Amino acid sequence: MDVSQYLEIFLDETNEHLQNLNTQILSLEQDPENMDTINEIFRAAHSLKGMAGTMGYKRMQNLTHDMENVFSEVRNGNIKVNADMIDVLFQCLDALEEYNTNIRESSDEGTNDNGALIKRLNSIMGGGSGEESGKAASASDASKANEAETSSKDSEKFREIKLNENQQNVLKEADRQGKMVYGLTVKVQESCILKAARAFLVFKAIEETSEIIVSDPSSQDIEDEKFDLYFSLIVISEEKLDKIVNAAKNVSEIEDVVGGVLNMNDVNSAKEQEEEESEAPQEAAPQTSETPAKAAGETPAQAEAVQVQPTVQDQAPAATPTPAAKKTTANKPVVNRTVRVDIEKLDTLMNLVSELIIAKNSLVSASTMSGNSSPAVNEQIEYLESVTTSLHESVMKVRMVPIESTVNKFPRMVRDLQKKLGKKMELYMSGEETELDRTVVDQIGDPLMHLLRNSADHGLESAEVRRERGKPEVGSIFLDAYQDGNNVVIEVRDDGNGIDTKAVKNKAIERGIITPEQGDNMSEKEVIDLLFNAGFSTAKVVSDVSGRGVGLDVVKSMIESLSGEVEVKSKLGEGSTWTIRLPLTLAIIQALMVDIGDEKYAISLGSIQTIEDIAPSDVKLVQAKEVIQLRDLVIPLVRLSEILDIPSKKDPEDNLVVVIVKKGDKQAGLVVDELIGQQEIVIKSLGKYISKCKIISGATVLGDGEVALILDANTLI
Amino acid sequence: MGEIKAVGESTQFIVIKLGDEQYGIDIKYIDNIIRMQHITRVPKVDSYLKGVINVRGEVIPVMSIRIKMGLEPDVETKSSRIIILKLEQQGTIGVIVDEVKEVVTLDNENIEKMSYDSKDEKASFLFGVGKCEGGLISLLDLNSVVLENV
Repeated sequence: MDVSQYLEIFLDETNEHLQNLNTQILSLEQDPENMDTINEIFRAAHSLKGMAGTMGYKRMQNLTHDMENVFSEVRNGNIKVNADMIDVLFQCLDALEEYNTNIRESSDEGTNDNGALIKRLNSIMGGGSGEESGKAASASDASKANEAETSSKDSEKFREIKLNENQQNVLKEADRQGKMVYGLTVKVQESCILKAARAFLVFKAIEETSEIIVSDPSSQDIEDEKFDLYFSLIVISEEKLDKIVNAAKNVSEIEDVVGGVLNMNDVNSAKEQEEEESEAPQEAAPQTSETPAKAAGETPAQAEAVQVQPTVQDQAPAATPTPAAKKTTANKPVVNRTVRVDIEKLDTLMNLVSELIIAKNSLVSASTMSGNSSPAVNEQIEYLESVTTSLHESVMKVRMVPIESTVNKFPRMVRDLQKKLGKKMELYMSGEETELDRTVVDQIGDPLMHLLRNSADHGLESAEVRRERGKPEVGSIFLDAYQDGNNVVIEVRDDGNGIDTKAVKNKAIERGIITPEQGDNMSEKEVIDLLFNAGFSTAKVVSDVSGRGVGLDVVKSMIESLSGEVEVKSKLGEGSTWTIRLPLTLAIIQALMVDIGDEKYAISLGSIQTIEDIAPSDVKLVQAKEVIQLRDLVIPLVRLSEILDIPSKKDPEDNLVVVIVKKGDKQAGLVVDELIGQQEIVIKSLGKYISKCKIISGATVLGDGEVALILDANTLI
Repeated sequence: MGEIKAVGESTQFIVIKLGDEQYGIDIKYIDNIIRMQHITRVPKVDSYLKGVINVRGEVIPVMSIRIKMGLEPDVETKSSRIIILKLEQQGTIGVIVDEVKEVVTLDNENIEKMSYDSKDEKASFLFGVGKCEGGLISLLDLNSVVLENV
């Protein structure tokens, strides 16, 4: 079977299952007795195995198979969950993840057999219940099957299948040839979306070993998804029942498969039952299947029989509404209301929206330039403006994804850190559902991971120290995300030691980053900011968790590359809080356009506080730097014409136009020549080639097709 | 240009003029040739980087080969053009030329590789000299032309 078309679905599902396993195994570690969790893990491992098997990834299948075995033992109470086992399981997940990555990159699982892991898994099994574990597993399977046979009539729908004469002949013929006749009832998981596809895979799996004679509902109905959770099959095969059942079970999202041997008496009784209940199909059946019946009599041409069978089956339920048939007609297939879209298509869409906004801006500037401002044109332009703005907003919304996908791996990471560092800690997360632009979510993972590691390694004290200080032995790390206006805030907080500003200062002096005199004059905040200096790490020991000296400066630059900012607040002995502030959108912003000399520049509205008109006489000099006094605040002035090397066109006697911008709690006044106005601009990168210019964060295309540069106010403060 | 096809062991070049000299640019790197337009200056960058322009909604940096090669600064005329190059490493970048003349197809035997002469600053931007009816063409080594000054 060509499975390449399913590859994408396979990868997505595998990821989901792996994530699920990670979460479940974590919670299992907390509560080793929780049967629900164990069942959930078992199911996920089982689905993984089935999927890998279907796709032909044997190594992956082997590994998951052994994991599943371990869980089946746990589920049966033969072995207990212990820390060692959890460790092995996590390693297994890592190995599976590796397979998954390999498959994603090369559609091949790679050659790593992970023999060592499989051995350890087997030794866990051995340690649990001795040599019999394997047998026990299969025995339990068998007993489960038995149980099912005796207890739950509901799952044995295959016994209710009505057979027409032709089909009975086929079965009898098979019986004569010494083949076995089995009935199977397959239950699909309720959550399954593509039931027909799963059923198809079950059919495929079964057809490898056996021949399907009858299905209920008919294969046509199954294909059209006109069935509830159950469907039943009658097959003939030379193989053992177990093998067929397992083959069917290996298909993912199949909850259960119940099988049983049908002897010919059963078949007959079914026929009698059928006769009692309805005459119609009996009459219909011979008509439709006369010729195949003959054929079947001569040679066991079951394939033909199967082909006719749908017509018969279609009529049978209509005449005799069996419980199964009732259900199939009652439940219409639920159409899934989401669509998976390639991120590239969204990028294209976003670019087109950007183009549209540029075109709209051109239209606005063209109509003002021509001086032809008839009210009708203005009205239409305003309408266009509101449409493009809402279009932009909707496209942005489509691109928003919850940060969940990124932060979900952190509990596992913290757990690993705990082992590695020998500290006790717990991660509390909130606001995983907070949404951010896809590109931001993809890139925020590394900086966050860094901050968490930092908290775990440098922030939290060891259990002994914590006890001495009267804190709970288990340290807490919090990861909170929430939306705040046009920003999303992510906080990483710990209740550890906090930042020792003295130690930071000493270290900075030692490294030659500051002089001792500078150190004496520094405020607490300034000292903390030293942490973001390249090559700064205060950990006394270089551990493999953190402390290689590439750290917070990288975090800072990564976040700034996303147009965000990071802040630290810390209290010695009580812990520290790292606050990351990110803009909701990256591509399109509201900006203030200004004239400086002959050139136009844009300043993001987000960083602008106020715009002031200052008389030249109000400009004071402090330490040879120009400042202005504004509402009791002394604000340094930055003459943009000097920084940008453009001669200002303004008369020095005129009042200054000062744009007050802020960064954190610092402010600066940017002196510009003229204000042009507020405009929605599309941010375009200047490219790698012009990266030296730090004060320019990007460019935008104006209405007249010209390029204007965007000033990065943050670097000017 | 569609009718000219690459034949076996030959390469196509676009012949441009810088001053009196003819230079060749391998056609496979060329994305577009546009008329001179207003270039937005970017402050605080190397002098050979003239700024950025908008090409179909994309912001593209523009550099002056003349300044980079140590020639006199560009004089904008009617025949001045900006050639948009697509390079693997540096991405898309525009270069200003005095004039775009024609497309030539050079057989590889008509391309003479330069013996590297470190004294001649201009020579380090070339990888060879091509011979054709129109005379000699200095073939530009785009990677060293575009390479950032360290």
